[in-house]
Amino acid sequence: MIIKTKLAALALGVVVALSGCSGNMPEGGNILGAATSQLLTTIKARRASGGQPEFITVTPAQLAKTNIPVMQVNLLERGGTDFLRRRAVRNDNTPGEVVVWLASDKAQVFLRNGVLVGTRGIGGDIVSSDATPTVLAVSGARAGGGERRYFLSPGTYEQTELVLRCNVENMGRQDTQIANLSFNTTYLRESCIGGAGDKVRITNEYWVQPGSGLVRRSKQWAGPFSGHFELILLKN
Amino acid sequence: MSHAKGSIVQQTHPTRKNRFVILAIAGLVTAAGVTRATPASIEDVFNVPDRPSLNFYGTPGLMDMPSAEVMPDGQIAIGVSSFGGNTRTTLSFQATPRLSASFRYTTIKDLNLRGFEDFRDRSFDLRYLINKESRIWPAVSVGLQDFAGTGIYSGEYIVATKNFSGGRLPGKIKVTGGLGWGRLGSSGAIGSPFGGPRPPFEEGSTGGEPSVDQWFRGPAAPFAGIEWQINEKWGVKAEYSSDAYEQETQIGNVFTRKSRFNFGAEYQYTDRIRIGAYYMYGSEFGVNFQFQASPIRPPTPVRATPARPLQLRPSRASNPAAWGTDWITEPGAPAGLAEAMKPRLEAEGLELEALQVTAARAELRLRNHRYATTTLAIGRAARVMARSLPASVETFRIVIVENNLPQSTVTMRRSDLEALEFDPQASDALLAVSGITAASPDLPGAVRNDDLYPDFAWSIGPYVSQSYFDPDEPLRVDAGVKATATFKPGPGWEIGGTVRHRLFGNISDSDRLSNSVLPRVRTDSVLYSRGSDTVLANLYVAKQWKPGNDVYARVTAGYLERMFGGVSGEVLWKPVASRLALGVEANYVKQRDFSGLGFQDYSIATGHASAYYEFGNGYHGQLDVGRYLAGDVGATLTLSREFANGWKVGGFFTLTDVSAEEFGEGSFDKGINVTIPVSWFLGTPSKRSVSTTIRPIQRDGGARLSVPGRLYEQVRGGHLNALEDNWSGVWQ
Repeated sequence: MIIKTKLAALALGVVVALSGCSGNMPEGGNILGAATSQLLTTIKARRASGGQPEFITVTPAQLAKTNIPVMQVNLLERGGTDFLRRRAVRNDNTPGEVVVWLASDKAQVFLRNGVLVGTRGIGGDIVSSDATPTVLAVSGARAGGGERRYFLSPGTYEQTELVLRCNVENMGRQDTQIANLSFNTTYLRESCIGGAGDKVRITNEYWVQPGSGLVRRSKQWAGPFSGHFELILLKN
Repeated sequence: MSHAKGSIVQQTHPTRKNRFVILAIAGLVTAAGVTRATPASIEDVFNVPDRPSLNFYGTPGLMDMPSAEVMPDGQIAIGVSSFGGNTRTTLSFQATPRLSASFRYTTIKDLNLRGFEDFRDRSFDLRYLINKESRIWPAVSVGLQDFAGTGIYSGEYIVATKNFSGGRLPGKIKVTGGLGWGRLGSSGAIGSPFGGPRPPFEEGSTGGEPSVDQWFRGPAAPFAGIEWQINEKWGVKAEYSSDAYEQETQIGNVFTRKSRFNFGAEYQYTDRIRIGAYYMYGSEFGVNFQFQASPIRPPTPVRATPARPLQLRPSRASNPAAWGTDWITEPGAPAGLAEAMKPRLEAEGLELEALQVTAARAELRLRNHRYATTTLAIGRAARVMARSLPASVETFRIVIVENNLPQSTVTMRRSDLEALEFDPQASDALLAVSGITAASPDLPGAVRNDDLYPDFAWSIGPYVSQSYFDPDEPLRVDAGVKATATFKPGPGWEIGGTVRHRLFGNISDSDRLSNSVLPRVRTDSVLYSRGSDTVLANLYVAKQWKPGNDVYARVTAGYLERMFGGVSGEVLWKPVASRLALGVEANYVKQRDFSGLGFQDYSIATGHASAYYEFGNGYHGQLDVGRYLAGDVGATLTLSREFANGWKVGGFFTLTDVSAEEFGEGSFDKGINVTIPVSWFLGTPSKRSVSTTIRPIQRDGGARLSVPGRLYEQVRGGHLNALEDNWSGVWQ
């Protein structure tokens, strides 16, 4: 009985602390709704995890109608598809050009010459990272490798550094089919290992158009909370 | 590529019914849910050590016996165990990588000890890891159990644990052996290595003081155990207990102890919840519920809607006109810029207070309504400045103002912001070229936001207040509705009040009235509770301001809290880059009537000189020296650990010139504080948090006035240490 009462009281305390209505109070004043929706999301996510995630396949007709740059993202482990718009292009002192892709929920993915170097608004984001050896290999559609250095958010606004040793292998020509279009691409596979006790192992895959170095399709690690993203460049 | 942890998590599909049970538990709601299978697991990436299983005392161990294991740094554990009429609820905290502390509430049914049929007691433990486990050497820990209570569980131990894995058996085997004193040396003793005899607990004493003269004295007995963690889900345990349960089985008749051996099986239900069933002492069935969570890693990562990428200026070569400085000579230019920035700031949960611009420099003073982490507000303010200000403005100065207290000046070069947003080391590189310095009390010649005052805000919501550890009813609760309103007529002024109406509850049912020999400044709470269903919790007028760059001040008058009203003044010295802060608070208060707006006869001048120190890595210390509500003179020491996401766990004790006899049960005032940020539950930004203080017992000695709006916590979050710890928030 004691157990029950205590837990119930604790749960009640939390709910009470979160509820109420207010006028002109600091933000976060009326958040019971938010708490409830968070709960539902959690439950839904749990239910969804029972089956294999399903992703949207773009039809040729849909692709034909698209006239702005669009990137499809499939969340390979978490499940779900979104279409990203190109928000900004930046050049800085680090090799490669950064494109900021914007999701429908305003989350962002940073690609440096097609290599995922940062995320925002997903939660537990990649704050920043150095992928220069990978960027050089991918841009040249050739083998390569070296150190990749991540600064990761543990779900808060601190950051933890993760250093991986990466090896990019050229797996040869493997064309990429996007709707009714076929692209001549080279398949690169990157294997990384590192972290404490070398327990972190990550694989990234890139399908790169030789010559332009444009990454048409890729499967890349987006941090421990997000898992891998499949990124398909529908329209450049 | 599928790692063990990840794949196991994926197999967890509790039934729908169970799922709701978890979600209900503890309101730590989303805690239970979000475990995702990712190839590189969160534990591996952040190098989180395995969590140990807990014993019946809610600390790492077997059943009744401890092991030498430690929980991951910062871990918070709740253990609820029961067997043969012994029920223990324990809150444990891994305060440092090696030191942990526990607070326990115990009920022993039908013990008939010290005049109580069911014996209920509080106890504190401390454990320290002496040696970390290595390839050859086991982990070794030393522990003090119930070291300052009434002593029913008091015992000390030194214990070693070694892990074995990779043999023919699957999983992991942990072998534990140790030597116990006191309660843990009561069965099968092998002599008194550190001498004896062990002085007994004095019946009728007030308890609560460290029983140093007992520690490691008297007979010592060996204990041992083995735990086999078969896989990620299942584990079995066996132990040889050195606890004779003398009081329970010989003095009282709580249960029959037929054997020294205990056995059990445990199941890891979710990442955070573990349950076990046991066969204890050859006669009793036992259960143990274990909950562990880390404030370091929230159940749901905090997700703030990201700011838009920083807007770049056109290059000077391509568009020299955009870099002109003539705009500053136009009348009303600063006011126009401020007007343009207002809605942009508002969209980010920020509010402009003042803007001062020259051709090359701008200082923005603003309020942060949304983000508990100040750096998020700073990063968003910088982006709004980059979007809104002419290209010639190169230096940005950002000052967050909390209730008329400018916190610090963060100075950044616009070209650094432009160059570093996507830098491989974006956060550290920007911090290296940013300045964090004192903020002046006022900003002369600035454009001010006229919409700020007068400001009226209100809220109505439910409330719950708890009373713990009444021997008749361990948890008493009142609940009802609460209305709060604040009116701010001008900078730094606040008129605030809270009215509560109790709808139901049982705190006033207690018939344990005060037996205190001191002025009853806190122990009359039952009378206050009986006084009236509708109470004015507080009603006050306050003014706070900055008399100097590093000095903050506050004056408050009115009904300051439920039990006292009067006047309160405070001055705090806290330079932006200093780990040390000093403060003085003086109050003259009168005790309020049990109901209504009147006052009783008791009045007192009370106040403290305080020193606050940030040790780094989130460890904080506070020392308050002064005169307390009952007129006693002494000091309070508070040590706490604050995590970057706002979780805070701390302990305090107060020693005054009141003797243990005058103080009564517990001998001196002590307790623990826990603060949980609301964003930890929600995963969305919010400045709110839930705080609670738990004392084993509330007496009148060492009691402090509770004043709304103390200064230190208001300014600390915007100062150097807090900003540096969360600096990556600038880019998020």
